[in-house]
Amino acid sequence: MRIAVLLSAGRHPVSGAAVLPRLEAQAIRIAAGLGTPVGLHAGPDAAAVADALGQGLSRIAHVALPEGADPVPVLAASLRAMAPDLVLAGRRGQGGDESGIVPYALAAALGLPLIADVVAVAPGEAAGTLRLDQSLGRGALRRVVVRGPVVATVHPDAPAPLAYAFGQARRGVIEPVAAIVPAGPAAAPAAVEERPYRRRPKLVKGAPTGGSAAERLKAATGEAGAAASGRLLVDPDPDEAAREILAYLRGIGVLAPPSPRPNP
Amino acid sequence: MTSFMPLTTVFPGLVWAMAALALVQVARRAALWRVGAAAPVAWLHGLAQLPRRYLVDVHHVVARDAYASRMHAVVAGGLLAASLLTALAILPPLAGSRAYWLLVTVAFAVTAAGSVLVGARRYPVKQKRLSAGRFQILPVLLLAYAVGGTLTALMLALGAGGIALPFTLGLAAAGGLGLAFEVRQGPMRHAVAGALHLAAHPRPGRFEGRPDTALRPLDLGAPRLGAEMPADFTWNRLLSYDSCVSCGRCEIACPAFAAGQPLNPKRLIQDLVAGLNPAEPAYAGNPYPGGREGQGERGPLARLIGPDARIHPDTLWSCTTCRACVEECPMMIEHVDAVVSLRRYQALERAALPEKAIGPVTELRQAGDPGGRPLAARTDFAAGLDLPLIAGRGEAEILLWLGEGAYDLRYGRTLRALVRLLRRAGVDVAVLGAEERDTGDLARRLGDEATFQALARANVATLARYRFSRIVTADPHALHALRNEYPAFGGHYTVVHHTALLLELIRAGKLVPQTLPDLSVTYHDPCYLARYNGETEAPRAVLDAIGLARVEMARSGKRAMCCGGGGGAPVSDVPGERRIPDLRMAQAAETGAGIVAVACPSCTAMLEGVTDRKAEIRDVAELLLQAVEAGR
Repeated sequence: MRIAVLLSAGRHPVSGAAVLPRLEAQAIRIAAGLGTPVGLHAGPDAAAVADALGQGLSRIAHVALPEGADPVPVLAASLRAMAPDLVLAGRRGQGGDESGIVPYALAAALGLPLIADVVAVAPGEAAGTLRLDQSLGRGALRRVVVRGPVVATVHPDAPAPLAYAFGQARRGVIEPVAAIVPAGPAAAPAAVEERPYRRRPKLVKGAPTGGSAAERLKAATGEAGAAASGRLLVDPDPDEAAREILAYLRGIGVLAPPSPRPNP
Repeated sequence: MTSFMPLTTVFPGLVWAMAALALVQVARRAALWRVGAAAPVAWLHGLAQLPRRYLVDVHHVVARDAYASRMHAVVAGGLLAASLLTALAILPPLAGSRAYWLLVTVAFAVTAAGSVLVGARRYPVKQKRLSAGRFQILPVLLLAYAVGGTLTALMLALGAGGIALPFTLGLAAAGGLGLAFEVRQGPMRHAVAGALHLAAHPRPGRFEGRPDTALRPLDLGAPRLGAEMPADFTWNRLLSYDSCVSCGRCEIACPAFAAGQPLNPKRLIQDLVAGLNPAEPAYAGNPYPGGREGQGERGPLARLIGPDARIHPDTLWSCTTCRACVEECPMMIEHVDAVVSLRRYQALERAALPEKAIGPVTELRQAGDPGGRPLAARTDFAAGLDLPLIAGRGEAEILLWLGEGAYDLRYGRTLRALVRLLRRAGVDVAVLGAEERDTGDLARRLGDEATFQALARANVATLARYRFSRIVTADPHALHALRNEYPAFGGHYTVVHHTALLLELIRAGKLVPQTLPDLSVTYHDPCYLARYNGETEAPRAVLDAIGLARVEMARSGKRAMCCGGGGGAPVSDVPGERRIPDLRMAQAAETGAGIVAVACPSCTAMLEGVTDRKAEIRDVAELLLQAVEAGR
């Protein structure tokens, strides 16, 4: 199985040192269990991701890009040329010049499905299929079987990264790959405002303010709360499923209520 | 036989034949040592020092077991003397002297007495720590040679002859040739390999009165990092493992063995021997507790470590690097060096660190602290204390190295006590603050030499920017790294343990403690202070200056038992039947002392973590502060 792992120049959340993001190290561990993965990095300097060579990769393809250039077109072109069966990426950036949007943009550019938040990947029973376990949070998992190729992002609940082995790192190779398409223009810096992340208190909607601690916990975790009011549809008719989803999205205010007049 | 060749020639001829056989056996063995890597050995110096190393250094260790010491002196002395004297009797003037044969008789009789002492350790019941197997026939061979020799020499001395002589000579020949045959892979190998090992010892410094305990830096450009197979060890290390006499003193001292973790230092060394030599007789000592039998390929190029190889990885990661086995080994074998060499290959080439150790080592590499904590938070413990940063001043009389313990709330109390004592004594002290990275001790003991060297170079570069006359630290692990291991990376510092500095301040009259006679205390020696650096007196002198009632544990000083906190053992967390700190606290409880005095953050954490503790855990600095403040 051909596997590409997208590597980004991240930063350690505490020390700020240039490190391989933990999620990508976890992605390498998943990939190493399936075959011989190749790392793919687009950026000014491959040294930023060289650590990945000690954590389970033996080869990194590096597309040199000027600082601040959009990596998506060149990554998409490289992936088209590599034609991997599985593309793994972290689910979010880690402090450096990177973004969790990239896998989504790549999946769109390549016309591939994206499976978010996977914690395990195994070959499916039928040839050419993959069985992915998606984390739904709080330990809940959903098993998905897809016919590849597919882009998947890795969730922090995936198995912890492999140890860094200096001896393996010095044997690994970084191969420069010429950009197949010209690098896109640098993203307009003024368009996005950057602010340091601030943790905000989370409001649990509809949680009872009074009552005992046990009652509040029950309300927040299910049984009597919002989680218990959901309905489970097994193998529904697609039209019915779509109606249910729309009704739910309207119910929580994501979509506007249906207009009284149907559109012409 | 005696008709065509006189017995006075045949008997010495037997000893010469024994010597020839032993030489052949040694040569066959030496072919195995030659597969090892090259090592620089100062042969002339080593051989010249051999008698002194044997009579002083080896005897110092052997004499801890008085019976074994007497036994060995009698049997080895007798064997050497009797054999040499008999061999010299090949000279006709000696052969013709009855008085000379009487002397030979006495020497053989002494050997016979020694052989009985050897046998008494094994028959009728073998002492538990000794190995059986070929070692069980050793007293029989010794006794046959000695008794046969005594009778033969006696008859030559008396001028008697006749029918008995062929039988006594035959008995001596059976025993003597048997002993010589055992030089290759039997018990007698320890004599030859041990003597060569003393001359070619990889750490000659330990015979010259300094603790030669620093791990050798690994050349990170070498084709293979660490030891994967027996041939990766240097030849004199292979020789040293062959000198093992399977006495089992190491396994009695080993904390992991006592805790029922799958490590037995004797078995480990014997596995290295058996890994090198596929024809080695089966191991017949105590096994790895809860471990499995040795399996897999053997030979100089066979993989040593693996779930399916000779040594299970759990055995390797159980070691706390406390050096208790090295301290007790009468053959001067360096077990910890072997463990670290094997760990280096596992960590650097195989990425096979224990699962739970990967996180701390990764954080150490990426953030300079095994907990991944902000370096600036290291001084949080000192909130409200006057503890200046050296960056603001550029120099200080004493640089206080805080170490990893500073992040720990419990150990923060100790460091606060230390800082208050230093302030009270008017010491000009400063800290590096956020510039202090971990010394890398954890990474180095776990075999990740690359991370250690990166941290060492970074710390040496930081320290080079400031002027200070001494580094003081309360962490013996940091002390060992800074004092003994950083010189290889260009950092030469005078490093003092806090207990030594506190003693200095008391003696200089800068700290005036009152006495606390109501407290009874027992002092637990940290391995990295006592065994690695030979410092056992300063902490005791401080405790005595406070006037505490001090009692010693059965194992103290350089022979103290480890708390279980070294060598990455807490993060590797190999399961055992018991916990090492529980065992140590039980030993402390035997003294009846109400306080266990400690002088190391690891010991503090390990011992304080013992449930149902009867004694309090207090650092020497905390006790001293209490005594100093009692005077106000």
